[in-house]
Amino acid sequence: MSLLEVTDLRAGYGETRVLDGVSLAVDAGEVVTLVGRNGVGKTTTLRAIVGAITPWAGTVRYDGEDVTGLSPEATVARGIGFVPEERRVFPGLTVTENLSLATHGGSDAGRGRSVESVLDTFEPLDERRDATGQHLSGGEQQMLAIARALVADADLLLLDEPTEGLAPLVVEAVADLVRNANETDGITVLLVEQNVATALELADHAYVLDQGRVVYEGTAADLEAATDVVDRHLGVSID
Amino acid sequence: MASALVEQLLNGLTIGMVYVLLAAGLSVVFGVMDVINFAHGELFALGAYFGYAVATVDGGGFWAALVVAPLAVAVVGAAIERYTVRPLYGRNPLYHILLTFGLVLVLKDGIELVWGPRPKELSAPAVISGTVEAFGFTYPRYSLFVIGIGAVLAAGTWLALNHTRYGLVIRAGSMDREMVTYLGIDIDRYYTLVFAFGAALAAIAGLVLAPRNGVDPGMGDSVIIPAFVVVVLGGLGSFRGAVVGGLGVGVVQTVMRSYVPVLEGLVVFLLMIGVLLVRPQGLFGDPEFEEAGDLFTASGGVLTDARRRQLGVAVVALLALAPLGSGVLYSPFLLNSLFVTVLTWALFALSLDFVMGYAGLVSLGHVLFYGVGAYVTVLVVMHAVPSVVLALLVGVAICLPLAWVIGQLSIRVAGVYFAMITLGFAELFAQIPNKVTQINALLATPWLPTWLRLPALRGNRGLFGIDPVYGLTGGPGVGAVQVVGGVDLLYYVVLAAVVGSYLLARRLMQAPFGSVLQGIREAEQRAEFVGYDVTAYKRRAFVVSGGLAGLAGGLQALADGGVSTSYLAWIQSGKVIVMTMLGGMGTLYGPMLGAGAFFGVKEFLLPVTEQWQGVLGVLFVLFVIFVPEGLVSIPATVQARFAGGPSGGTPVEEPDPVDREVGD
Repeated sequence: MSLLEVTDLRAGYGETRVLDGVSLAVDAGEVVTLVGRNGVGKTTTLRAIVGAITPWAGTVRYDGEDVTGLSPEATVARGIGFVPEERRVFPGLTVTENLSLATHGGSDAGRGRSVESVLDTFEPLDERRDATGQHLSGGEQQMLAIARALVADADLLLLDEPTEGLAPLVVEAVADLVRNANETDGITVLLVEQNVATALELADHAYVLDQGRVVYEGTAADLEAATDVVDRHLGVSID
Repeated sequence: MASALVEQLLNGLTIGMVYVLLAAGLSVVFGVMDVINFAHGELFALGAYFGYAVATVDGGGFWAALVVAPLAVAVVGAAIERYTVRPLYGRNPLYHILLTFGLVLVLKDGIELVWGPRPKELSAPAVISGTVEAFGFTYPRYSLFVIGIGAVLAAGTWLALNHTRYGLVIRAGSMDREMVTYLGIDIDRYYTLVFAFGAALAAIAGLVLAPRNGVDPGMGDSVIIPAFVVVVLGGLGSFRGAVVGGLGVGVVQTVMRSYVPVLEGLVVFLLMIGVLLVRPQGLFGDPEFEEAGDLFTASGGVLTDARRRQLGVAVVALLALAPLGSGVLYSPFLLNSLFVTVLTWALFALSLDFVMGYAGLVSLGHVLFYGVGAYVTVLVVMHAVPSVVLALLVGVAICLPLAWVIGQLSIRVAGVYFAMITLGFAELFAQIPNKVTQINALLATPWLPTWLRLPALRGNRGLFGIDPVYGLTGGPGVGAVQVVGGVDLLYYVVLAAVVGSYLLARRLMQAPFGSVLQGIREAEQRAEFVGYDVTAYKRRAFVVSGGLAGLAGGLQALADGGVSTSYLAWIQSGKVIVMTMLGGMGTLYGPMLGAGAFFGVKEFLLPVTEQWQGVLGVLFVLFVIFVPEGLVSIPATVQARFAGGPSGGTPVEEPDPVDREVGD
């Protein structure tokens, strides 16, 4: 059984339909990526999973439990961590404050990722623990955003465009961090990316989204080989 | 000299501490929830009254009151947040202004109902009475007590905000509410807490000020505007700003009173305007991207244009024929007083809607133009020519450039800050009638011509006993001419002016000018990218609006036979906003209906209950929660609810009852 199972999800804003029946599954311990052009519904999928918007139809099951339509508070308490676009670091709070804010969420203390233990693994952040969010670089903010979700005791990380707007070297650092969280801490990752190359490098499994529907599903290696799919739905070439 | 200065500093800090306690709650509530709480002043008053009740009961006393009153007010605050404020989250902050304005009426009337309109006295315990001497100066113990308790509470609040988990969540919530929920935190719980805490601080402020200034139903009114000034000065949402701003305003106000009396009362507003112009986010505020929720503007509803025109003509015709029934069906007083008031306020509401509903500019200071129009009209009649027409024209002519200047200064700041800066200007002008002598003393320099000096305005007593005439220089006096049934000719003058203004406004809105304005309201940036000078368009609308408001004020002053400072009171700005939204802003006739409904309901309640304001307040609260698009939206909603037949069906249940209220 998959850790996260999304079935026939339909959602939108106002009258506008964005998701037209998205189904996907993420197994525990996997890194799964969701790729697609701008505006095809990648972010909306994540938002519907975490409960930031209420789906019109379809189901979201997490860890065997139906979590469709629950509030973010409830889904986060169950172990889903959402790292939204543009990182959303609290600009006026220090690194430590940003992290300790997340400390309660759903932790029945069993796992116990404390602020300190997370800072230990995020060295660049450890050096800047007293800097406020607004004074961090884009890469540092992204690290902080991921670290924050880890402190909130996420077992599944929903990452929305974590490499957007970062310099190539920093992209590598963030990718390493995601890989590390997955391999060492056993965090399951659902990664939304425009940067297909990086996404496929990280992922085990990939879904391609177009106009609110899943148009391709396969292993990351398969997608890399399927040049017709890439051309048609992603419109970029990978080298 | 030195001891006088020390005494004034101490007085300033005492009143400053009260401002700090008030502003801290206001500011944090705004920072976290984007709620502008006009009812904060009433919570302050409620604190004093609860305190009075506990202090005077057997076994009570001042110290018991100091514990019980804030807790009781906190409960009231929590209930307000939970049941009235919460349904409005995510809407434009304007709706909170309207909501809390309704709450002001409810709380104020509630207080009067329980404790009566007469002031109460609350004496301080002996321990904190008298004076104490140190370093060669004498200090009143009570001032030291207020400063002490304020300092302790401010420090405690600061510690709680910066060193507790609650504070952390609240600070984070004021930066990015949504992200806080993504961390698994139920922020709604914190909102109630913050609101209750702000209410408790306000209650303490009211209570500690009570032994010094007394307890009366008007005490909330008198502090809410300075408290807002403090919050804006310090920076909306900034606790540090509230502390520095509160103490600063308290001291500056007190010192000015003795050294530069002309500026007393003016200086805080000058400060606020100055700060907003230079640094709109206030001294310590963060320049925050303001995500204003949508304003609900009413649409035409179910009526076709032709049908609406027929209705409009019918209403005007009824109003024109109404004097025929005077003396038979109703007394002429109804038309001469109530209908004239409804009509002038309909014009005032129309003028506000012109900027608020069409250009998205929420002016909290529109009373400025209403009042200036009224004063100028009366002054022209008194000192220049007695002609009604000329006086009204001069009133409008003065308001137009005044609106241009104030628009020029204000429109560069947006949203809540625009509301605050217009409020500042209005309060500035509201002080003038009481300061004529001092201002003239300032102007009495040889190099300024004497005609620049202000005429006598007689302060709160107002200017009455005018003799306007219908001709240009003479002719029949306004009081002397009656048409049928004892109805004054003035009734027709007002009716004609209001109808004419409505037609003018409608013409402007149908012209390209109006389309651009509405485009700006819908998507300001897009309008700018298309190449329109957005600021210039807004300013033009503001000028037209100022002129119409001035005309409304002038007409009302002529009907009242004079003018007084109540024409400039901020509460009138609140009333006109209420009417505009009650009727439905974004339509020209909606606000006019709103004015009719407001006075209609008032007239209906007046003989029924002394607490008519409170009942009216309850109605507003319900309205803003359930019918945010206003009266004009009701037919469409009703039709949608019972939409059995084809849409756009015949408007049978039309029009709103209000139509008839104005028309009968």
